[in-house]
Amino acid sequence: MTQAAEESLRVPEWLLQGEPAMCPCGCVGKRKKGGYVEKTLNGGAGLLRQVMFSDDVAAQGGLLQRLDPRVKFVSVIVLLVAAGLARNIPTLLAVYAVTLGLAAASRLPIGFFVKRVWLFVPIFTGIVVLPATLSFVTHGHVVLTLWHWHGHPEGFTSQGLTSAGLVVSRVAVSISLVVLLTLTTPWVRLLAALRAVGVPRIFILIIGMAYRYIFLLLGAVTDMYEARKSRTIGATRHDRGARAFVGATGGALFGKAHQLSEEVHQAMTARGYRGDAKTLERFALTRFDVLAAVCCLALAAAILTGDHFLGH
Amino acid sequence: MATETTTGTAPDPSTEREVQLACHEVSYSYLDRFPALDRVSLTVRAGERVALLGANGCGKSTLLKLLDGLIFPASGEFTAFGHTVTEDTLEDEQFSQAFRSRVGFVFQNSDAQVFSPTVREEVAFGPLQLGHTPEQAETRVTETLTMLGIADLADRAPFQLSGGQKKRVAIAGVLATNPEVLLFDEPTAALDPRSQYWLTDLIEQLGAAGKTIVHATHDLDVLPRIADRCVVFSEEHRVIAEGTPAEVLADRDLLLSVNLIHARSPLPG
Repeated sequence: MTQAAEESLRVPEWLLQGEPAMCPCGCVGKRKKGGYVEKTLNGGAGLLRQVMFSDDVAAQGGLLQRLDPRVKFVSVIVLLVAAGLARNIPTLLAVYAVTLGLAAASRLPIGFFVKRVWLFVPIFTGIVVLPATLSFVTHGHVVLTLWHWHGHPEGFTSQGLTSAGLVVSRVAVSISLVVLLTLTTPWVRLLAALRAVGVPRIFILIIGMAYRYIFLLLGAVTDMYEARKSRTIGATRHDRGARAFVGATGGALFGKAHQLSEEVHQAMTARGYRGDAKTLERFALTRFDVLAAVCCLALAAAILTGDHFLGH
Repeated sequence: MATETTTGTAPDPSTEREVQLACHEVSYSYLDRFPALDRVSLTVRAGERVALLGANGCGKSTLLKLLDGLIFPASGEFTAFGHTVTEDTLEDEQFSQAFRSRVGFVFQNSDAQVFSPTVREEVAFGPLQLGHTPEQAETRVTETLTMLGIADLADRAPFQLSGGQKKRVAIAGVLATNPEVLLFDEPTAALDPRSQYWLTDLIEQLGAAGKTIVHATHDLDVLPRIADRCVVFSEEHRVIAEGTPAEVLADRDLLLSVNLIHARSPLPG
């Protein structure tokens, strides 16, 4: 504040008066659940809780946590390919059972693991698979009639349901494998493993920094929404003002991110960064890792052989 | 000449010591519109502890960035260790590496400086960039974290750290490269009293160990402990006085005119 501004500070009359707030009779108004502000704040806190929980799980001493992240990463890729090539639901169900066994051996809460996988399945497969189960898309034997068309029964076909089951189980197995990998490997070790298997260093650096700054920007969003909440009188409205606020928040966040990116670049340059990032990579394969790799290859071979014997 | 007035006599800078950083009449404006430095001259010799004093927005942080070769003057000249530093000269890999390994900068915003996913990676960043092997970097990380009392934070993510812890990590990241010159931008700003005292002690010890220290600050109370010489900026982005902490702190009119104290403030110390 300049000296002139400080000297000319005059408090307006209204600022010295009290504002009517709560009714003096002590009566209370209608209760209404929080709107988008509350949801955003809860979402931010929920994300942080989830990340802390994942970090705790990854730090436990279970079966998969003890494995070298490179071995885990390559093993998951191999099993994903094997599951992708399987054409029988029983084969995929067997693999899913194995993933549940691995989750239990890695001390993951089974309920949480199953929920996390099946939360994604409807999103990835629901829209694609649902129409394919109907007779007007996949012709065949109608097992559940929904309506008639020119005298012909129309509804779910056994062929359609089998195809849908195959897709759903394949997606569930794939997501289970990826969730197993991400829940049992600390984020930093996972990035280092990606680097070790040949992903360019600059990608790893960018992903790592994006992950680090998500939390900072999340903090900025939380601050803005809390400031909004503290000045919101009455119920939160979903009106034009609310949309303008969300837009303004996005704009402010973009500005902050831009400013931060400049500062981060300067901080990197100050410590010798010249476009070629170097990272700490310290891995050593143990006998246990080799054994795990062999087991993974054997499992992939068993999946493909078993599936071949089951036929189409 | 940028300096309009000089308070007292500057301390004997031991003119035999090597000039490490020198600015001659440098000017800088943001977006070519907002002036930040106006014909500023400054010489920093080996082992000196220099405090840049001034109100918010007077150009202290800009000067520190310039001294670290992060921005370049629109006019005037900046030399480091006898060599002119420009965008072109820093393109030279050998010169850049030598310069970066000899000058370290602790930013005011630790969130911008601590950018790696874990504390360990963060502290290892500088040594690795400057050509140390992962084993050497690992040793430096362990020893630096132990020295600063934060070895237990090695595997933590930055978002799990408090402001004071982040500042320690930022300092560890700079010290791990073992620079001769340390630049601190508002080092004690927004820190709790314990962290402030810890940092003041550290700067004192680093100075005693022979490091050259340049820091921008508002904190007049600790000046006698962490500075041999003060350079005072006016709100017009010029250097208007230089002197020992005792000389500068004794000049109430000067401190008032540059908005470092208020008419109702008691004199620090």
